[in-house]
Amino acid sequence: MYGWIWRHLPGPFGIRLLAALVLLTGIVALLMFVVFPWLEPKLPFNDVSV
Amino acid sequence: MGRAQRQRASALVVVVRTLGELMITFGIVILLFVVYTLYVTDVIAARQQDDVDDKLERSWASPVAQQPAERLVKPELGSGFARIYLPAFGEDFRFVVVEGVGSPQLAVGPGHYPGTALPGQPGNVGIAGHRIGKGAPFNDLDKLNSCDAVVLETETDFFIYRVMPMSDEVANWGKVKQRDPRCAAVPSLRQAGQPEGGPYGRTVGRRIVTPDRGDAVAPVPYRPENPLPKAQQASLVTLTTCHPEYGNSERMIIHGALVNQIPKQQAGSYQALLGLIGEPV
Repeated sequence: MYGWIWRHLPGPFGIRLLAALVLLTGIVALLMFVVFPWLEPKLPFNDVSV
Repeated sequence: MGRAQRQRASALVVVVRTLGELMITFGIVILLFVVYTLYVTDVIAARQQDDVDDKLERSWASPVAQQPAERLVKPELGSGFARIYLPAFGEDFRFVVVEGVGSPQLAVGPGHYPGTALPGQPGNVGIAGHRIGKGAPFNDLDKLNSCDAVVLETETDFFIYRVMPMSDEVANWGKVKQRDPRCAAVPSLRQAGQPEGGPYGRTVGRRIVTPDRGDAVAPVPYRPENPLPKAQQASLVTLTTCHPEYGNSERMIIHGALVNQIPKQQAGSYQALLGLIGEPV
């Protein structure tokens, strides 16, 4: 999977590396700011009220 | 090995490798989620706390402040209306209390149970707060001792509550800890000779209860039938958080009783107040 993505990134090594890092940052940001805030209240780990 | 055989083997390699990569990725996502709940939510909550703190400060400074009593009748859901200080956790422990105990409100800071008493009123001021992540205002509630102060600041006053005697201290409260001048006014509301110690017999400094004990924030804690008229109710504060620390099977409850009320004009600042109430600054 990761090999396939790497082969399909365009350009020489430097550009590929940059593109890979940008992709990675984007995915982490998507998780942190969209997916996790949506998911977290649905999980029962942090109920504090009675 | 024939050609067909080799192709089948390499297809299998691809499938197994991809499966492995997906599993590793899933593991990393789970770890990121842990980082999110423990740290990222702290950052987000701190920013939201700053916002409500600014708003609260501005509303207190505005001319509408001429009629504070009216403003405090029923705070709006999600809005900050008071500050809570726990001096035992350091001078900088300070949070704005917002109205409501739903997850959007608790993501901002400690939340006031709607319908429970407001600071200073007879009855029970119920406040819930996170123990893990989201600023974790109530992370260290287990370290609160009897007689430690819980200060609530409203537009006009500081209300000083102190944690009530723990269950193992109730019997000798008058003889031991109440000798300390700071604790002299902290009541043990247990009445000897009455069945179960009277209406407040179950109200001690700290209790661990099951999550269905909504009556922990009842006007008379653990007495949902409400045995006392409002005028006879003690003024209490009740802090609730999850228990055990990373779990949700129980709740930790802290009960404090009102011992003092100092107008802000008289105290000046919170720092000055700490000196007035005998807390080490």
